[in-house]
Amino acid sequence: MSESQIRKRPDHILGNVLVEADKAVLNVINTRGKSAISRRNIQQETKLPMNIVAKCVKKLTDLLLIKEIKHGRIYHYIATENSPSNTVTGGGCYPDDKKEFINQVKDICLKIVKELKVTTADGVYNVFIKEHKLTKVELSRQQISEILGVMVLENLIIEVKSTGYGEYRSVPVGDVCYRCHEGNVNHGSDVGAMSSIPCGVCPRIRECTPDGLVSPSACVYFTKWLEF
Amino acid sequence: MTINDKTTGITTSSPPPNALQLTLLIHCLICSTDMASSSPHGIKLAVHLLSAYFGDIVSKVGECLLNKGTLSLAQVIRFTELTKQKVTNSLLVLIQHNCVQAFAIQQPGGFGEPPKIVTQYMALHNNIIHHMRFPKFLSMLPSDFDEDCKKIIEGLLQHGRLSLNQVRDRHKGKHKALVTSEGNGNATNMLHENFNRLAQARFIERCPAHEPFLERPEEGAKKRVAKSKLADVTQTLEARALAAAAPMESQRFLVEADTWSNGALDDDSKKSPTKEVVGEKRKQDSLEPETETWATNKNKEVLWRVNFEEFVLRLRHKSCVSHVTTRVDSAAGIVLSAIFAASRKDETKVKAENTVPLLLQTIFDEAMNSEEGRSLTIERVRASLVQLGCELPTIGIDETYSVDLKKIIDQAQAQEVESIVLKKYGREAYRIFRLLSERERFFETDKISATTFVEKKDALKILFQLWKDDLLHMERIGNESQKTEILLWKLNKRSVWEQVLDDMYHAALNLKLRILYEFEQAKDPEKQAMLVKKWKVLEASLMILDDAIMLFHDF
Repeated sequence: MSESQIRKRPDHILGNVLVEADKAVLNVINTRGKSAISRRNIQQETKLPMNIVAKCVKKLTDLLLIKEIKHGRIYHYIATENSPSNTVTGGGCYPDDKKEFINQVKDICLKIVKELKVTTADGVYNVFIKEHKLTKVELSRQQISEILGVMVLENLIIEVKSTGYGEYRSVPVGDVCYRCHEGNVNHGSDVGAMSSIPCGVCPRIRECTPDGLVSPSACVYFTKWLEF
Repeated sequence: MTINDKTTGITTSSPPPNALQLTLLIHCLICSTDMASSSPHGIKLAVHLLSAYFGDIVSKVGECLLNKGTLSLAQVIRFTELTKQKVTNSLLVLIQHNCVQAFAIQQPGGFGEPPKIVTQYMALHNNIIHHMRFPKFLSMLPSDFDEDCKKIIEGLLQHGRLSLNQVRDRHKGKHKALVTSEGNGNATNMLHENFNRLAQARFIERCPAHEPFLERPEEGAKKRVAKSKLADVTQTLEARALAAAAPMESQRFLVEADTWSNGALDDDSKKSPTKEVVGEKRKQDSLEPETETWATNKNKEVLWRVNFEEFVLRLRHKSCVSHVTTRVDSAAGIVLSAIFAASRKDETKVKAENTVPLLLQTIFDEAMNSEEGRSLTIERVRASLVQLGCELPTIGIDETYSVDLKKIIDQAQAQEVESIVLKKYGREAYRIFRLLSERERFFETDKISATTFVEKKDALKILFQLWKDDLLHMERIGNESQKTEILLWKLNKRSVWEQVLDDMYHAALNLKLRILYEFEQAKDPEKQAMLVKKWKVLEASLMILDDAIMLFHDF
């Protein structure tokens, strides 16, 4: 049900049903707008006893004036006509197999970026959603942007600011855009000098001394590494 | 270690300091400029190299200087418990091989005694570590320098410092069979020419003064402040000694014609009672007074040595070009290479943050000189410069470009550390680390989890693991009334990078020790064939690791 379709109850009807405490609680919840509020915070703001707050919240929920949202392990409350903000819900919803789904989306995004060479988050979103409808799950512009951010952190793509010159000419100067690595970057996997030798990733490096229990001459990782 | 601030409710936490951190702290407090940059394992590696190249006695003296900082001869004798003769001989070897710099300072005398001049000795950690890079330095000599030039460099690397005549004697010795009276003259001229070329290209330089005299620090500092009105009093005694010992820039690469006489100096050297045979370590019986007899050459011949700075500079260029070629593309690598070639004469600082500003046309012309660059157009060169982070000038006349080298080095360093995190802690940790590395500010656990798409439980586990290994800094913000606690995480690049460098020195030492171990094991003839394979892998890894050490320490 969209926000515009929810009909507000006339205040004079509510006035007969709600007592002062209910009104105070409802007022606090309404003033919060899209950010939900917990019972403890309601109690702090209204200065009502906790059991009264609990009763009021239950009554208002039954009257469909407020709705509850589980945020972590605590229930938060928000006016029925409002939809919770991303900070409350944790962003858009993903299917249960979130990891697998995101990996699929990442692969598709990578293909799009490769194809477009230089593009903005909106550019990827347009191809992804509008032109091809590549997944059954509906993804928002914000979610695509977040996934692109993760791809940048994984070094799959790079985030640059458009210079408006050459291949950036389609993007306004200064806008954030994404492109693939042009060189031979192996996504940071085997490029490191240190990570390619046993000592680089050794969990016992701090205990390793020339004559100690852990030593380069008695090192099992070295022995394994030098087995041909 | 936890610090509670009751007024703000902020709790700062850091893992208990380990031995490494404490040693680092102590070193920062007590050591000199060159030393401060060296880590505990950097010192251990240097001591190992000294022991491998010059023996245990010299390494003991070197270790004493590296660990305790600048000392006088008497102090070195007291700390090492070696005889005076052994210590002085060791110091001579170390000075000859540019591992120690001596300098004299005036110290106040005792009751009723006049002030006295004391010679101090400081270990040059960087130069000691450079000893394991000699094969790399030799390979860096450009192809237009022929085999004879290589031999000169080889001789200087082998003997530390030599005079022109000693270089010539060495050359004669090598070519004894070929020498005729006429051929001898030609060969000498050729040698002179090659020597001059090497000096002009800054591959060799005059040695620093063997024992410069420094004014008392307080006086020197006061004078400087008064003169320049700038407080430069933080400069350490060792930094001042190095600056005082360095030859004047106009003389540093000057090969004087009169120092190169075919016969005259031969006679002089015959007269000299301490004529040395090149290749043998010099020994002197009497070492008192230090300043007089320790002069390296009684004929006041100019001594020459390899200019490590130039080789480091060229290796830095090579590293930048290689990083850009991998990160951007080969055209960007060619353009950067052309910039380095065109600005070689104007570039004097090793750690320059930006390249010398050059005209687009100059860069293009230089790129055209190389075989790979001939296919580039001026438009492509311009596009590569943009890819390298240069901003296009608003007015198209006299376009000059300067590339930010610090950014390239920073990226390469970050890539090295990230690859360690990826391999050691996994892909999710890699994402988290990159987030904290790029932003360099405090992040809440929830925010980290949401931005990196790592489950909060897993994120917390990873963050704690990274914190335990001293890769992250953590702060707790507690609210006692609500009994809630928020954890904030931050990456302190400087300390992490220092620690990674120390680990690299540690790993290099381990590779060296493993090579020795493998040689010992291979006494059995059956294992000989295997040894070659293992040795190749270990040596190649050491060379690559050394590139990374230079990336963090020298570039």
